[in-house]
Amino acid sequence: MSSLGTRFEAISIEGLSHRFLSRNKPPTTALADVSVRFPSGKVTSIVGPSGCGKSTLLLIMRGLVKATDGQVRFLYGNGSGDVTVGDAPRMATVWQAFNLLPWRTVMDNVAFGLELSGMPTAERRAKAADAIRAVELSGFENHYPGQLSGGMKQRVGLARGLVMSPDVLFLDEPFGALDAQTRLYLQEQLSTLVESSGKTVVLVTHSIEEAIFLGDHVIVMTARPGRVAATLDVPLPRPRTLDMQKEPAFGDLFTEIYGLLREEVRKSMLN
Amino acid sequence: MTEANQVILPAAETPKSPPTDERLRNDTWWYGPVAIIAFLVFWEVAVRSGNVPEIFLPRPSIVVVTLYDLFAYKHLLDDLGLTLFRIFSGFLLAAVVGVGLGLFMGTSRRFNAIADTFVAALYPVPKIALLPLLVIWFGTGNAFMIALSALGGLFPVLINTVVGVRQCDEGLILAARDLGASAAQVQRKIVLPAAVPTIFGGLRLALGISIIMVVAGEMQTARYGLGAKLEQAGQVLETGQVFAILLLLAIVGVILTKAQDRLGNFVDRWRAK
Ligand SMILES: Nc1ncnc2c1ncn2[C@@H]1O[C@H](COP(=O)(O)OP(=O)(O)O)[C@@H](O)[C@H]1O
Ligand SMILES: [Mg+2]
Repeated sequence: MSSLGTRFEAISIEGLSHRFLSRNKPPTTALADVSVRFPSGKVTSIVGPSGCGKSTLLLIMRGLVKATDGQVRFLYGNGSGDVTVGDAPRMATVWQAFNLLPWRTVMDNVAFGLELSGMPTAERRAKAADAIRAVELSGFENHYPGQLSGGMKQRVGLARGLVMSPDVLFLDEPFGALDAQTRLYLQEQLSTLVESSGKTVVLVTHSIEEAIFLGDHVIVMTARPGRVAATLDVPLPRPRTLDMQKEPAFGDLFTEIYGLLREEVRKSMLN
Repeated sequence: MTEANQVILPAAETPKSPPTDERLRNDTWWYGPVAIIAFLVFWEVAVRSGNVPEIFLPRPSIVVVTLYDLFAYKHLLDDLGLTLFRIFSGFLLAAVVGVGLGLFMGTSRRFNAIADTFVAALYPVPKIALLPLLVIWFGTGNAFMIALSALGGLFPVLINTVVGVRQCDEGLILAARDLGASAAQVQRKIVLPAAVPTIFGGLRLALGISIIMVVAGEMQTARYGLGAKLEQAGQVLETGQVFAILLLLAIVGVILTKAQDRLGNFVDRWRAK
């Protein structure tokens, strides 16, 4: 990973553009010249109208889609200000559609990544059991995803990522498919988890409240082709609590973000 | 807003419990068997009271006795074994080749571009029309029968495998790659298992067609095997034997179908009940 004495400092995106080619349609420019930085140990939220390329951006950072143009760099520092470009840190993704393997039990879903890496059965089961406990799903190890509610499925999704002990966690609208209460509950759980682990988190969401509540920074994107409209800091202390939503700083930031998004959302509905 | 800290787990969080409810119990299992028995009794009584000649329509009781006699004195067990051997050898061949080619066609655009035309050309050909050609190539022995069975079963397996592979949820593949899966692991641990229910449907169709092909082939050319015995009995107007062999084929069919149901339920055990 990183050589001795260096630690992961940030993901740096430089001049990133992406076009999807398709046979019977004109090409879609999903991202246009995006430059942005995701600092390590922080939660960076991304909001933007749907179709502006948020998911694409995550897939590119994750190495699952190759960008048409531009670069993703992983920066490491040695503590005295020198920065070097290094290999990708460990990363894992949590998906809006859960993407659990329906023919595998909760246990085997959570242990899947470890299984792929060739870890022996007993060892990966033990690790998976810990992760399942961490998301409060003990007792459901032998259930199939089809037997679980949406909230439980996404906790399995979270456990499946966390068991890989990622340095960076990508969350693509993780709670978008859940009802309001479940969502609130999982936001709280996630916030506790992130604050105690010090992981680098990139959270795509269509909820401005969620972006602020969980984030240290919020990136606002424009309608397609997606560009960065603004990067805003969240001036709220940690640990975050739900009643912070009542604070003026929260409301001001909400208004500012919505102001930026309003016009973009209108544009996105027209194209 | 302190009550926000005691968010109550919403109802949706409770897991669906396994079905133990009275109303879900299967209480119709005996309808089928009883209907069959009623039908047989009706047949027996109608033939007896109507004085229908045995050469035209034998009574069920005579059919059963004839079937017993065929097993006891005419080595019908050997014919049954031979026919099943031919069916299953061909079926197995069709399954292995069909799933293998199907996986390849479903995942490789280039290979699919080549193979697709062949499939489109060969699939609609009634396989039974290939009988003369297969006899020229393979004679009339087991190789011929197995080829017939395999040809009949190949296309349903192949086509269902391609469909199953194609409809694999892209999200599952991304999730696997995110967790570090290699291309081979994606195939083996995502694409193949995701296609299993569809492939299984193809296998079901294939077995049915393999049975038809082998019995038809045996009727045309063979001296041994259920189809051959059926044909021979028909030629000498042994109607009792014809019915006895048809009965045996029906029993084999029921057993295979039930076995497939069992296997299908096992394969699909993860589906939400
Ligand atoms: N695989 C693909 N092929 C073609 N177009 C795509 C593909 N994936 C996404 N797109 C298009 O790229 C744009 C951005 O998509 P996406 O990144 O999913 O947006 P978001 O996550 O912000 O809603 C959309 O217009 C979408 O239709
Ligand atoms: Mg998206």
